[in-house]
Amino acid sequence: MWFRHRRGVAAAALGSVVVMALSACSGERAESLVDADSLTIGVKADQPGLGLDEGGELVGFDVDVANYVAAHLGIDEVEFVPITSAEREEKLVSGEVDMVVATYSITPARKTEVTFGGPYYVAKQDILVRADEEEVASVRDLEGRSVCQGAGSNSANRITDGLGIDVRELQEAESYSACIERLSDGTVDAVSTDNLILAGFLAEDPDSFRFVNNPFTDEKYGVGLPHGDVAACEAVNKAISEMYQDGTAAGLLEEWFGETDLEVVESVPQFEGCD
Amino acid sequence: MPPNSDQLAGSPEPGASSLPPPVPAGRIRAWWPRVRASMRTTPTRVWALSILCALTITGLFGSATVTLNQARDGLHVLGRDAGPQAMATTELYLSLAEMDASVADVLLMGTDHDLGSGRQAALDRYDTSRTEANAALLQAASLTEGDTVEELNVQAVLDGMGAYDQKVSEARLLNDEAQAPPGEVDPEALEAYREATQLMHTELMPKAFNLGLDSSAIVRANHEAGQSSVALGLVWVGVVGAATVAALIGLQLYLRVRFRRRFNAPLLAATAGTVVLTLGVILALNSSGTHQSEARNEGLAAAMALARAGAIATDMQADQSRYLADEDLADNYQQVYLERAQQVLFRPASTLTDYYEAVGEVPDAYPELPGSNGEDPDDPGTLGYLGESAQDSLLQGEEDSLAEVLTAYSALQEEDQRMRAAAESGDLAGAIDIRMGVADTEDGVFRVYTDALGGLIELHRDAFTAGIERGDAVLSPWSWGLPVGALVLFALVVAGVRPRLAEYR
Repeated sequence: MWFRHRRGVAAAALGSVVVMALSACSGERAESLVDADSLTIGVKADQPGLGLDEGGELVGFDVDVANYVAAHLGIDEVEFVPITSAEREEKLVSGEVDMVVATYSITPARKTEVTFGGPYYVAKQDILVRADEEEVASVRDLEGRSVCQGAGSNSANRITDGLGIDVRELQEAESYSACIERLSDGTVDAVSTDNLILAGFLAEDPDSFRFVNNPFTDEKYGVGLPHGDVAACEAVNKAISEMYQDGTAAGLLEEWFGETDLEVVESVPQFEGCD
Repeated sequence: MPPNSDQLAGSPEPGASSLPPPVPAGRIRAWWPRVRASMRTTPTRVWALSILCALTITGLFGSATVTLNQARDGLHVLGRDAGPQAMATTELYLSLAEMDASVADVLLMGTDHDLGSGRQAALDRYDTSRTEANAALLQAASLTEGDTVEELNVQAVLDGMGAYDQKVSEARLLNDEAQAPPGEVDPEALEAYREATQLMHTELMPKAFNLGLDSSAIVRANHEAGQSSVALGLVWVGVVGAATVAALIGLQLYLRVRFRRRFNAPLLAATAGTVVLTLGVILALNSSGTHQSEARNEGLAAAMALARAGAIATDMQADQSRYLADEDLADNYQQVYLERAQQVLFRPASTLTDYYEAVGEVPDAYPELPGSNGEDPDDPGTLGYLGESAQDSLLQGEEDSLAEVLTAYSALQEEDQRMRAAAESGDLAGAIDIRMGVADTEDGVFRVYTDALGGLIELHRDAFTAGIERGDAVLSPWSWGLPVGALVLFALVVAGVRPRLAEYR
């Protein structure tokens, strides 16, 4: 009886020491995409050259970048799902997608909800005009002309408020493809947004439009990751560095935007940092 | 008189059963009856239990030594090697930004060599930064050794610096030959400088910045790997400590049953000693780990983030010179200025005018941070390197230092507003005067800002050093405490068992 009791005490003592030792290492490891077996990646489905649904398959520069990054994380099983600009934060936070590569600009406000790997490319805001337009050589020449921007975009405000340029009319269309149509039929004089987005449209119809090639802002396209996944962010950065070093980035930029007169940067962008 | 050992022969001894070494089943069959036969007498059983106690004490000593050494190594790698190297790599970006800033200032000054702190000071600054950049690259090279991706980046920055040097010498020479007056940079010189600063901003600085981030990543990975192996070691120490306590209790119980003695004082002391030793080591490792984490997070990581705030601000204020020197690209440089400013201290604003106003409110409101109450869905708060640093400020005296930095940063923006207003009203000479005043190395507002920031960074560096020292101080008594403790435990076991065994001689 007494013997058994003492054994109980010994077992309890052993147990408590183990618990103490174990508690010392709790809270060290959080789950990371680095250890994942499969990935669901959100990409655009309506952005030619970047992420476009072509007969049920999503194709574009963003898709190729996402594939390269996933391969470098050692993940073979990758599923691409279409995502719109408005859904990006929500689907990433809810875990519906693991990663977002969808012309996703890194901003201080978004960084409070999303951890960004990259940027994998720094797009610049630029202006697209009709190919036969000869009088627009810089952003200042938009004075007295009409400009189109996609709904919810801030692009044109940078020209009007930011640079104080007095445009004749600011049109808002439901999407940038609608803006491009208006530019094509002459309803508007210029379309302004990220040059990579414009280049995607231009590549579809290289003879109809031209760039003003006067880039004036930085749009840092990042790889959106679950907030706080520092290990994945660091691994993504490493993959992007390699993508530029081994020439893949230059090849992809040529493949998707080579037919346009876009001046692409073929050197690795300055990363945002993971914490 | 010793009791009859046959009484217990049928029931296997709990302690003795763990004695046979793991050998193939065939051999166990041959060995086991002999071991069992030899375990029949009381002295052999006492011996076996004592040896078990000695083995577990040795195990405790071993596991604790290994884990304490791992913890000490982790502290030393962070404190002496990886930490300082990472800090140095972070400064590579600053040196590059300063090089490009000096050149922009020299070109803007043109023939007036006495503007601000003068042309010679700017040229000296270029040479100093060039030397510092080289030194930082060496640190980066040694930190990233063996990592092909980073080694290629280090090499690319090294090569690029040579090309950059050439282009800026050309720009300077052309501008000097053309006898360009202040603010009217010779077109050919400007073209050469555009190429140079383009090279700097697309090839060199991004790679340098990424190297700094990589060194942070290396420190983080080292730190976490170290912490998790120490955590594993802690489990081992706990398990072996518990096993030692169990073995000692087992020995005491056996002696109690066999020898009809109520207590064995030395063995009781040994049991208590084992508990103290195990808990002591676990607590020391735990608290050293906490100090190490503090050193990394509140010390090193915060210092590196602030160093980045300084480096980006250096590039930002150089955009003022570029804005004045290059009329064609002035809009771009103004936009880039705003973007860099937003990286340093973010407030929601899409134009510089809005930004000046929003940033002006920050030092007045501090320690409250505008927008951080979450009431306005369009206002994510005060962010960027300085904003985030203000959110996490925990160190003693940090609040005053931060207030100084925020005030200095706001003053820098006020000067910027004055400068652009002068330039837009056509007063180029006045704008250049303001710009060179900002960059004055003696008393310019940028100098005031970097000094204030330097003070804040120093606080975090001190926290880093202090964290490492505290972590070390917690561990150091155990370098003698552990072997002495283990020897005392051995001695107590011997003292507890010897008189009993003597009864059989």
